[in-house]
Amino acid sequence: MPRIDWRTALKGLAAFIVAVAIWAGVSPLYDRAVAAGAEVLMRTFERPAVTTLIATGSDVKVDRSDFDPRSPRPGLPVIDLTFNWVLLAALFAINPRPFSDRNIFRFLLASLLLYITHIAALATEVMSIYVLRLGPWSRVHYGELARNFWGTLNHSYRFVLMFAIVFGLWWALRPSDLPSPRARGEGGAKRRVRGRSSRKA
Amino acid sequence: MKRDQKLFLIKFFAALIVMYLIVAWNPVNDHVIVPATKGIAVAAGTILKAIGQDVTVSGTTIGSSRFAVNINNGCNGIEAMLILLAAIGSFPATWRARLIGLAIGAVIVQFINEIRIVSLYLIGAYKPSLFQVFHTAVWQVVVILAAIIFFLQWSARVAPNRLANGS
Repeated sequence: MPRIDWRTALKGLAAFIVAVAIWAGVSPLYDRAVAAGAEVLMRTFERPAVTTLIATGSDVKVDRSDFDPRSPRPGLPVIDLTFNWVLLAALFAINPRPFSDRNIFRFLLASLLLYITHIAALATEVMSIYVLRLGPWSRVHYGELARNFWGTLNHSYRFVLMFAIVFGLWWALRPSDLPSPRARGEGGAKRRVRGRSSRKA
Repeated sequence: MKRDQKLFLIKFFAALIVMYLIVAWNPVNDHVIVPATKGIAVAAGTILKAIGQDVTVSGTTIGSSRFAVNINNGCNGIEAMLILLAAIGSFPATWRARLIGLAIGAVIVQFINEIRIVSLYLIGAYKPSLFQVFHTAVWQVVVILAAIIFFLQWSARVAPNRLANGS
């Protein structure tokens, strides 16, 4: 069984607790930034540009200028889409020398890239509301292909992609002095020992 | 990023997408995922009864007069197991090492997941104001983080062996 490195696990745990506190405190403000980005993204691609996303503090209300003014506006909690930042913080904390300039710079870069994925995730969530959850309006405006595409994309993000993206960002941006799959294999103690003994022989 | 790291990431995401599509396919969901989730609910219900909670399990729902939790995809540990499977499957190692890693990793993920379900029921029953944050942010991240830390430990262990075995 693989040996559990308790120091690494504890570093991750400490960062995780701090990150949850930061994330919970900053979320209302961050939701506004994500909603603003997603609104720009949606308006860039929709004709006519009618979508407005309003962050209310606890969720984001979806409005369209062509909706019946009397109908209720759907809302969605953005925190369900953004809490993977906590995982990102915990992963960068388990890197060697977590407070080095390089690690912190790369964590900030990863956070920026994650912000872009949050914008895309919110836009996808809004599209899945449009295609699936607005009853007759959805059926009139969108076909089967659009329903399957946006529904699957939204579900896959919530189910696994939101975690896989974080893992991918961390894997790609972690400082290069960490062992890579090949470096682990070629630079291990066993190789050095074998190399020395072969030279002696 | 080195070439082998890029290759690992490409394989990881490709494997994850394929596995997601398989798991999301209705026949697989209905005949594999839902029965497995029912088993997870039964195990959590048994633990809750053992610690004095008067709960009943119906399908994937654990309930009592105080509170009820329905275990769906995202709360059954399948997402963490898919990530673990994609990562271990994409990492250069022998098939034996991969199978051992997957078996041990699955046990660890499901063990932590049972703790998650039991604790979420208790939080919902006795401290409902904390349920949302624990359900959304705390436990989902803990389960995925456990899977990733296990993968890192496993990969650090198997890579030298792979070279030593010449595979």
